[in-house]
Amino acid sequence: MLRFLGFRLLRAAVTIVLVVSFAFLVLRLSGDPAQIIMGADAPPEAVAAFRQAWGLEEPLYVQYLRYFGAILRGDLGRSMRDGREAITLVAERIPATLALTVPALLIKLCIGIPAGITAALHRNSLIDRAVMVLAVAGFTVPSFVLGLLLVLVFAVQLGWLPSGGQDSWRHAILPIVTMGVGGAAVLARFTRSAMLEVLGQPYIRTASAKGVPWRAVVWGHALPNAAIPTVTIIGFMVGSLIAGAVVVESVFSWPGVGRLLVVAVANRDLAVVQCILLLVAATMVTANLVVDLLYGALDPRLRNAVRGA
Amino acid sequence: MSEAALPVTLAPPAAPRGLPALVVFAGVWLLLMLGIALLADVVSPYGYTALDLRNRLSPPIGFGGVAPHPLGTDELGRDVLSRLVYSIRMSLLIAFGATIIGAVIGTTLGFLAAHCRGVVDQVVLALVDFSASLPFLILALSVLAFFGNSLTLFVCLLGLHAWERYARIARGLAVSAGAQGYAAAVRQLGASPWRVYGRHVLPNIASTLIVSMTLAFPEIILLESGLSFLGLGVQPPETSLGSMVGYGREYLTRAPWILLSPAAVIVLTTFSVSVLGDWLRDRLDPTLR
Repeated sequence: MLRFLGFRLLRAAVTIVLVVSFAFLVLRLSGDPAQIIMGADAPPEAVAAFRQAWGLEEPLYVQYLRYFGAILRGDLGRSMRDGREAITLVAERIPATLALTVPALLIKLCIGIPAGITAALHRNSLIDRAVMVLAVAGFTVPSFVLGLLLVLVFAVQLGWLPSGGQDSWRHAILPIVTMGVGGAAVLARFTRSAMLEVLGQPYIRTASAKGVPWRAVVWGHALPNAAIPTVTIIGFMVGSLIAGAVVVESVFSWPGVGRLLVVAVANRDLAVVQCILLLVAATMVTANLVVDLLYGALDPRLRNAVRGA
Repeated sequence: MSEAALPVTLAPPAAPRGLPALVVFAGVWLLLMLGIALLADVVSPYGYTALDLRNRLSPPIGFGGVAPHPLGTDELGRDVLSRLVYSIRMSLLIAFGATIIGAVIGTTLGFLAAHCRGVVDQVVLALVDFSASLPFLILALSVLAFFGNSLTLFVCLLGLHAWERYARIARGLAVSAGAQGYAAAVRQLGASPWRVYGRHVLPNIASTLIVSMTLAFPEIILLESGLSFLGLGVQPPETSLGSMVGYGREYLTRAPWILLSPAAVIVLTTFSVSVLGDWLRDRLDPTLR
């Protein structure tokens, strides 16, 4: 188990290093940082002094190592807009994003998984058809369209809920529903196909044949085995919590990390973009790591498979 | 197999013969979209930037609109139908271009990894891991932040979407093809790697790759429209389905028709490609379920 853990940790570390390198690379490829920060019409002496002060004259690998060191110390640069530390700016927005994404995740889990299981157990029934139609719709309706339709109906036509902003809990309802519904549909589709795959396995038939009650077959044999692919997709959902919030936060003018990212990109506020990039990658890598460990717990075969590697 | 001898109670009922109605609908819709995209200049009643200041914010026909503008106009009096036609062309062009770029890059890297193995293989696999570890939207946003925006860059960027899936598939299939007789036989006959992979391996794995492309295509339409909606994709005066929705959002209360027609086209198109893709997958590739 320790070896399994070590192997996974190594892979996670490699991915983070790659993401940091990517950020460094695009930062350098996008032009001379001195020129960008000082502005196009800055006097050449000032630009030269800036390059000297920030170590831009040194060889690229020295800059790269220094950049890496700074990130390890938690120094992610300052926003070009108001000179505050990028990491503080981002951290301020995290609670607002979590206030949307965590309830949305709960909606996805509480609707998606039971719907998928029910559909699989009653294959080709009316419930199954309904779940599948909704699941395809959930995938094909982009979140900004769904969000705007909800605003049109519940805010503009009916006037029940506010259309945007962050003043009370009522403002959070529409964005949470927008995020939750699409994800629930995807999860239902995955759970259904995972369940169907498992239900077709010989051991399910064996268990039924030897007289195990159907309920026990489903709970004891089918669900634990169907859990593995479902855990993968849930891990991906947890990992992309911030990414998923980008569009929805923009639709509802919700001041979270996603909205900050869009504004930072529009302003080309590189330090902030970079900080969010790292935050997203770290979230994703952590989620993947947890999923891998859960695999090990759910399926001993996978744990042992790594021994040979 | 002894399993086949047992009566299978959980077997699905046989699929109905002939084309399902939904697939027919999807096919007709996509042909319609393709026709509109190809004939945009002929089909659209006006130019997409043409103004009609007398008929600003005119509603569609049936909601009190006037005949010259069947889907209404926006607040500059631009005809929504004409803009929709040109947006369909733009969005499809981007989606086609990006899907092909992704498939070519991914397949090439996959073949390269399978052919060279060793270090090259490891590098490609590390890149695949990297791509899979970062939500594409975030990656796209950061590249747009660093490099600014142009249509070429935008298409290439979207082309990177899903490359890792093709790479994984091409690598896996090429490795297993290499172990089969035919690839070895052609190699023994003195064929160059180009010939082995291009003429012999590629046709054998093409159906799987085509299925992946039908899965990636709607995702790219959604990404393009999402980014354009955020104002970071297609830039005015050019217009795409997503940027039309983003623009129409400002007039949600007064003129919802500006936003509803492109939104409906996005939904119906992605839906149709998904339906056709699922159907193709069942037909072409029984192993991928």
